[in-house]
Amino acid sequence: MSTTLDTNLTRKRFRGRLIISLIILFVFGNSGCSAGKPPTESLSKAELDLRAASEARADEFAPMDLQSAREKFEASRKAMAAKNYDQARRLAEIAQVEAELAAAKAEAELTRRAAEDLRRRIDSLRGESERGSIPGPSPAAAKE
Amino acid sequence: MGRGIFLHGRTVRATLSLAAFFILGCGAVNNPALERARDAYNRARQDREIVGRAAVALDKARLTLERAERVWTEDKDVIEVEHLAYITEKRIEIARATARRRLAADDIQQLNPQRE
Repeated sequence: MSTTLDTNLTRKRFRGRLIISLIILFVFGNSGCSAGKPPTESLSKAELDLRAASEARADEFAPMDLQSAREKFEASRKAMAAKNYDQARRLAEIAQVEAELAAAKAEAELTRRAAEDLRRRIDSLRGESERGSIPGPSPAAAKE
Repeated sequence: MGRGIFLHGRTVRATLSLAAFFILGCGAVNNPALERARDAYNRARQDREIVGRAAVALDKARLTLERAERVWTEDKDVIEVEHLAYITEKRIEIARATARRRLAADDIQQLNPQRE
């Protein structure tokens, strides 16, 4: 009788430990999976943002930001190849935001220049029309 | 006997350093990178040009800052917090550039009728 009781207790304890172990395994396994997932999406997004920055003429108007973004992108690819996924994700996210910044700066500079250009043209047109409205010396007066 | 253990110079110094370590350690709940990002965001939020012309870009900065604050409160993951703080600062710079672009675009719109 006591042997049966002992066996039951041992079984219960074993089952309890098994459940706890499974829970621990599940939690750690899951966190491990999420931390170790290859950041392919972040990397593709960074590549797209870099392309958009180049199209926005960031090479010309925000070269330092674009260069930094490109370096982060390359470093992210290297970290990805080395299966250092956390670092790869962070670097890809930085590449994204720096490429976005390069594009924003380039667009701002281009628009500012366009506004300045327009203002200059308006000023010169205004100057021409003002000169045109002032009567110059008549040819007769010029002869004298 | 006159040199009791608590009066021993080295012991006193060690105890004081230990106490200072714990006090400062407990008090140092702030992350410098996070503080910088928070300050930068608060400054941007008070800039009427940014609020008026780049609200969406500024909101993206706010969301990243909130994520950084959450990671700091819940996990104290210094690397991730510094990463998110850096992204917050870049997002604020994007908001600033966006505001500059919109201002120039508004100038163009105002100047165009004068050209005709």
